[in-house]
Amino acid sequence: MSKTSHHLPDHPKGDHGTMHSYIIGFLLSLLFTAIPYYLVVSKSVTGTALLATILGIAVLQMAIQIFFFLHLGRGPKPLYNVVFFVSTVGIILVVVLGSIFIMDNLQYNMTGAEVNKYLAQKEGISQLGGEKTGACQGTNANHKVTLKSGKVSPLHTEARLCDTITFINEDDMVREITFGQHPKHDAYSGNNDLLVRKGRGKTITLNQPGTYKFHDHLNPDIAGDFTVIP
Amino acid sequence: MAHALAESHEEAANDRVMFGFWVYLMTDLLMFAVLFAVYAVLQGNTLGGPTGRDLFSLPLVLAETLILLTSSFTCGIGMIAARAGNKNQVLTWFGITFTLGLMFLGLELYEFAELIHEGHTITTNAFFSSFFTLVGTHGLHIISGLLWMAITLIYVLKRGLNKHMVRKLTLLSLFWHFLDIVWIFIFTIVYLRAFV
Repeated sequence: MSKTSHHLPDHPKGDHGTMHSYIIGFLLSLLFTAIPYYLVVSKSVTGTALLATILGIAVLQMAIQIFFFLHLGRGPKPLYNVVFFVSTVGIILVVVLGSIFIMDNLQYNMTGAEVNKYLAQKEGISQLGGEKTGACQGTNANHKVTLKSGKVSPLHTEARLCDTITFINEDDMVREITFGQHPKHDAYSGNNDLLVRKGRGKTITLNQPGTYKFHDHLNPDIAGDFTVIP
Repeated sequence: MAHALAESHEEAANDRVMFGFWVYLMTDLLMFAVLFAVYAVLQGNTLGGPTGRDLFSLPLVLAETLILLTSSFTCGIGMIAARAGNKNQVLTWFGITFTLGLMFLGLELYEFAELIHEGHTITTNAFFSSFFTLVGTHGLHIISGLLWMAITLIYVLKRGLNKHMVRKLTLLSLFWHFLDIVWIFIFTIVYLRAFV
């Protein structure tokens, strides 16, 4: 044992824990682990009430740990670390609650099932959880629609399900192919709009049966349609 | 007089180190917050596959939680011994903390191995990507904490306790309590929440 260490315990600052406070902290933390665990396993409370309760207890648990184990706020002088901690918690709340809020809004516009369907079609997964997704595998016939001098040819295309259609832009400007009625469009199989640069083409797979109108969003008069036969 | 001046200098340096380490912990906490946000958003995106409710084992997670909470407590007792200058007790209590940490790590690796064995890897879907990233990042912190603890204990064993060593142990204990707090939120938001 070194000599210097002997005067360490009578440090004037009160930022160190005593055996007493560690034991109380430990017992409380065990209690606040057991309660949410019991609530979840016993299912005596359910749904949002249960979620709110266990989240509340987690925050309480954190407070116990910070007070009894980290001894935050019991240090000397200006409590810069407390200030820093509080501002960090603020940033965390903005990041976490903000993300959940924004993403829930997106989910509101596109449900989980729709996300799965969209992904399945993009990735060509034909079965999901034992159900057919309608996604196409392999390539079938390709149909070409050319946009030249503001004209669409052919105006009408007939195709079978799982064929592909290529929009070719031979004009000297960018075309933005959208589906449905202008200006409020509908997506076709997850495609909201296809940006086709001059001299280029864009191909999509026809995996939704029915007749669909399309037009250039920048010049709504340039329009046509295609029919997909199942 | 000169002695007292040197003492207060050292104390100021000590406070700076503590605050610097605190700043590190808070930025680390921010990183975990982002991973939690990602998990909260992506947990439902399983591409039709099994969810956490189908796969997680609550008793296993409870055991992990109790082990980590106990290790946080033994780490605190170790700090009391360190401030009292009791080398043997420091080695004992931190030795127990180290063992509990290893047990926790073992259980976590066991859980990961089971999931991967059943074909649920980090690339399976967005849910598993966010799950393995969040829980795995905490696991990596535990591994670094254990390495740090092992090295510090060897130092204590060879050189004995002095002021610098007590400071090192204080930082280590802050880190360990911090990992405990992060785990409480993993326990609640990842595991318990899956069964709500």
